[in-house]
Amino acid sequence: MTMIARVTDGLPLAEGLDDGRDLADAEMYKQQVKALFKNLSKGHNEASRMSIETGPYVFHYIIEGRVCYLTMCDRAYPKKLAFQYLEDLKNEFERVNGAQIETAARPYAFIKFDTFIQKTKKLYLDTRTQRNIAKLNDELYEVHQIMTRNVQEVLGVGEKLDQVSQMSSRLTSESHIYADKARDLNRQALIRKWAPVAIVLGVVFLLFWVKTKLW
Amino acid sequence: MRPSSTPFASAPPTVRPFSSSGPVAGSESSNFRPTPPGAPSTLTPFSAVGPSPPSRFIDPSVPSPSVKSVPPSGVPYQRFPTPPFPSAAQTPPNRAPPVGQPPFQPPASHVSVPPPSFRPQTQVPPVPMGSLPQNANFPEPPSDPSLSGPRPNFQPPFPGYPSKQPAVSQAPSPFSAQQGSFMAPPAPPSPFPIQQVSYGPPPPVANNLGYQSRDQMQHPGSAPPIGGVQSLTEDFSSLSVASMPGSIEPGLDYRTLPRPLDGDEVPSSFLEMYPMNCDPRYLRLSTSAIPNSQSLVSRWHLPLGAVVCPLAEAPEGEEVPVINFASTGIIRCRRCRTYVNPYVTFTDAGRKWRCNICSLLNDVPGEYFANLDATGRRVDLDQRPELIKGSVEFVASTEYMVRPPMPPLYFFLIDVSISAVRSGMIGVVAQTIRSCLDELPGFPRTQIGFITYDSTIHFYNMKSSLTQPQMMVVSDLDDIFVPLPDDLLVNLSESRNVVETFLDSLPSMFQDNVNVESAFGSALKAAFLVMSQLGGKLLIFQNSLPSLGVGRLKLRGDDLRVYGTDKEHILRIPEDPFYKQMAADLTKYQIGVNVYAFSDKYTDIASLGTLAKYTGGQVYYYPSFQSDIHGEKLRHELARDLTRETAWEAVMRIRCGKGIRFSSYHGNFMLRSTDLLALPAVDCDKAYAMQLSLEETLLTTQTVYFQVALLYTASCGERRIRVHTAAAPVVTDLGEMYRQADTGAIVSLFCRLAIEKTLTSKLEDARNSLQLRIVKALREYRNLYAVQHRLGARLIYPESLKFLCLYGLALSKSVPLKGGYADAQLDERCAAGFTMMALPVKKLLKLLYPSLTRIDEYLLKPSAPADDFKNIMKRLPLVAESLDSRGLYIYDDGFRFVIWFGRMLSPDIAKNLLGPDFAAELSRVSLTEQDNEMSRRLMKILKKLRESDPSYYQLPYLVRQDGWYHWLCRLDNANTPTSPAKLMIYRSSLLNVVNSSAPADESSPGVKTTTGKKGFARLGLLSMVVASISCLDVGQRQKTLKTGSA
Repeated sequence: MTMIARVTDGLPLAEGLDDGRDLADAEMYKQQVKALFKNLSKGHNEASRMSIETGPYVFHYIIEGRVCYLTMCDRAYPKKLAFQYLEDLKNEFERVNGAQIETAARPYAFIKFDTFIQKTKKLYLDTRTQRNIAKLNDELYEVHQIMTRNVQEVLGVGEKLDQVSQMSSRLTSESHIYADKARDLNRQALIRKWAPVAIVLGVVFLLFWVKTKLW
Repeated sequence: MRPSSTPFASAPPTVRPFSSSGPVAGSESSNFRPTPPGAPSTLTPFSAVGPSPPSRFIDPSVPSPSVKSVPPSGVPYQRFPTPPFPSAAQTPPNRAPPVGQPPFQPPASHVSVPPPSFRPQTQVPPVPMGSLPQNANFPEPPSDPSLSGPRPNFQPPFPGYPSKQPAVSQAPSPFSAQQGSFMAPPAPPSPFPIQQVSYGPPPPVANNLGYQSRDQMQHPGSAPPIGGVQSLTEDFSSLSVASMPGSIEPGLDYRTLPRPLDGDEVPSSFLEMYPMNCDPRYLRLSTSAIPNSQSLVSRWHLPLGAVVCPLAEAPEGEEVPVINFASTGIIRCRRCRTYVNPYVTFTDAGRKWRCNICSLLNDVPGEYFANLDATGRRVDLDQRPELIKGSVEFVASTEYMVRPPMPPLYFFLIDVSISAVRSGMIGVVAQTIRSCLDELPGFPRTQIGFITYDSTIHFYNMKSSLTQPQMMVVSDLDDIFVPLPDDLLVNLSESRNVVETFLDSLPSMFQDNVNVESAFGSALKAAFLVMSQLGGKLLIFQNSLPSLGVGRLKLRGDDLRVYGTDKEHILRIPEDPFYKQMAADLTKYQIGVNVYAFSDKYTDIASLGTLAKYTGGQVYYYPSFQSDIHGEKLRHELARDLTRETAWEAVMRIRCGKGIRFSSYHGNFMLRSTDLLALPAVDCDKAYAMQLSLEETLLTTQTVYFQVALLYTASCGERRIRVHTAAAPVVTDLGEMYRQADTGAIVSLFCRLAIEKTLTSKLEDARNSLQLRIVKALREYRNLYAVQHRLGARLIYPESLKFLCLYGLALSKSVPLKGGYADAQLDERCAAGFTMMALPVKKLLKLLYPSLTRIDEYLLKPSAPADDFKNIMKRLPLVAESLDSRGLYIYDDGFRFVIWFGRMLSPDIAKNLLGPDFAAELSRVSLTEQDNEMSRRLMKILKKLRESDPSYYQLPYLVRQDGWYHWLCRLDNANTPTSPAKLMIYRSSLLNVVNSSAPADESSPGVKTTTGKKGFARLGLLSMVVASISCLDVGQRQKTLKTGSA
């Protein structure tokens, strides 16, 4: 599964031809990818290259020129090849559609790119072809320092932040309520304290008044 | 009508007078009276009226009805005298004039005057029209005062009135003094005619004046008896084909039956009322007036619903605008999910909008906000097509996608068994596909793939790096698998060379194949496995009965004995549940199936067609396909199928206002939830029908709205939502519903209902229920207006439905419904059924009532300019009388041409058109272009006709008159329950029974039937016969017909 999306708003630009034959829960992974894009567009700045583990698979993505290229592959698949694959896509995509990326207004505006994705994917599918072995051995391309994190972690970052802000807002609202209640109690206490006195005084005055009236 | 009552009492000088005159219809005196008061004010109405009278008169002229009406008239008559006379006497100046036509002379007179004149003339049918205007002029034109003058004349007649008939005879003399000319000519020996005539004609006048602006239909019911009678009479006379049950022949002049010579007429009043509605080519309601109560619905009897053709081809310049909301998101109602449309209202200074369907107040998003001007309209209205147009397309955002937009995908499943090879089908298909490769929509993403099969299944690897396709044969039919994970389905632009090589070699590859088996079911499964990743369109070319593997079908054949029994319908439904199950799976994976069937033997289209039915596809049937005869047809239709604009992975939903809902859907699709139609592939040639029902007992709103939304992927890879919105008024009156009825939509719904009915019951039941509903509707209509005794036995129907009977007749004579065992082959019946379930209204009507044109005169004209095409193509009514044995005719039902050579047609023409062998049996001659002007011109005509209707290719069939008569006889003799005669008799007798006040029918039923049949055989002749050309079975066709390719 390969997807290309704009980082600024998470708008999907292109996607490889659906190839979920071997995936039992392709839907779930797709949801994860979408959540990931949303996270990215919210501006949690992440490294421009990253691998994210999810179940038996890994998402690899690179961000370049405000476009995110993401692919999903087996854990066993060499990281190096995956990133070279994304690199290839990036070069071609920028060459073909570079100018229009910012102006694209509808989802999958560059869906025509899927044929290239498809083709390139086929080249990389088999790790044992001569071509891929050569690439693997090519030490020029360094991928060792690319961070690997877990998908829960990544998606969790956003969630945690959300939680914090939620908690704080709950806190403020609760404190407001507390203040209100306190004021209320205060008043009640006041009434309780002075009510008997006021009543007594009232009765006395009443008596006075009655007395003056009678006499 | 209401006003009419008042005039008598107070005699106010207004429009009403006329109406009052209307009611009097029966008696001459009555006519006169009303006119005078109205004279002054009436002027305006009058002028308007002027033109209309003529039309009315035509019908009345039919003599028979009038005769009948006489007896009943007596009754009304007596009532009249009292009110009218007194008034006349008391206010002589005013009323007097009525008697004499002269008084009318004043402005009002124009109208009223003509009637008198007509009566006499009407007897000479054609004349009356012309006379009208003259009369108007002739009287002293403008004089209210003039009334007094006329009076004298008037008086004499008066006395006469009480004794009606004698009076009539007397009346002439007084009149003659003034209007001698009129009276004299009629001078009918028998008083009856005179009176009668008067009934018919005068009312029209009255109507015109009084009601013009209003609906005539609507009010009559409430009107006082007198007024009602007259106005109604006229209405009817204008509308009705006067048919006396007892005397059908004279009454029913088949020549006067309305015939839809202009093809489909879309009611326009509706559009004018709601100019922001979508065009009727997208959405048509069976009546543009929605009933407000359940009881009204049950009295309507006709289907209440809509026919939707969401992707209908729009003429140049009227394309549906595409709107991209981008970041705003598409504006929809929060609750009912209605899309923003021209009928929503903005309130609260533009910050809120009210949904027109559920009337919920929604917030306007910030980006969409615009101020309102003084009248409450948004200031940016001009830049917002979605707020002024009934049809728009929105670009869908990601929420509307479950996956990225799919590429257009075409997969071909081709039968290569021996019969397919022999018929030449493979060659034509391969050639056609190859020639269409450039025009397949969706370049450069288009995907393509092939599987061929006989007793084994052949896959083709078309990887772009190969130079030649690799063929893989799988013979394990029970456990089908795909031999190669990729490259069975390839990108066309990349593998173009391989695909071309494959198509070039396909015909020769199987040239010597002698395999007779067909493992259709397994091949279908294989194709499904290959396509299920993406979905798309699956084209199946099947040439024999599936005989191996899953989905194997038996030769259950057409059994004469089954017809008429309860098991009859089983022949028309799929035998093996495999097909329905498969169709469900295909739809789920967004695969649409088109079935092309070619066999000369039974192929069980009922089963195969199920695949197309539930996947939104289509069935093409070429019985006994021979490439040299039908090749051209297949070529065009396949090319059209491949290249027309197609909407992929679509779903459609129609929403409507509170209180009503769509209860059933009819057409080729799969229902995904209660109201969501799944349409894997849909195009401009598909229409869907649905029926409405009322949820609440009473609708309180004034207007209801309908919104059709089609969410689809365009071939270019854009996901779009096409939205059509329409509004319709809610009415409380049955008459208004009839007035706003749309025959086309009703027929379309009827057609689908009837065909569906054939799947669960006998053909006869389907036809009967269709007839019954039409009869009931007409009866209801009649009850509505027929308190009047005078109308007695006439067949009356509303103007808007004047073609309904004819179409109903044609429908029950159409291939899927007609006759029994012998009238159509089972396969043909089923194929036609599947086709008609998907046809848009216009094409359906053309199929039911084809056009007939005479062309020999045009061909003979020395030099006809090319542009007068319109003039030549004048449609003739489909009756035997239209055919002149010296003529040459083209009959076009949208699916085929029949070129009819009259017996006496000049041999020159035949020779020029057919070449040297013109004298031969026509079935052996093919129509090709000869090297002469005449032939070229004919070809040009055919070409033009084809261009006007590109969805099917019409093959010309040549027929000589003698052969034709053979058919006519066949039909005439057809004593099936559907024969037009019987239907008509059935109908009129029913009407008769219903109307208790109608004069007793003297003739015995037996007599009726026979006479009726005679009269109707003629009516039915061409109209029905022609429509059923295809009823001929193959053998006969070969005998009598022969096709040629242009």
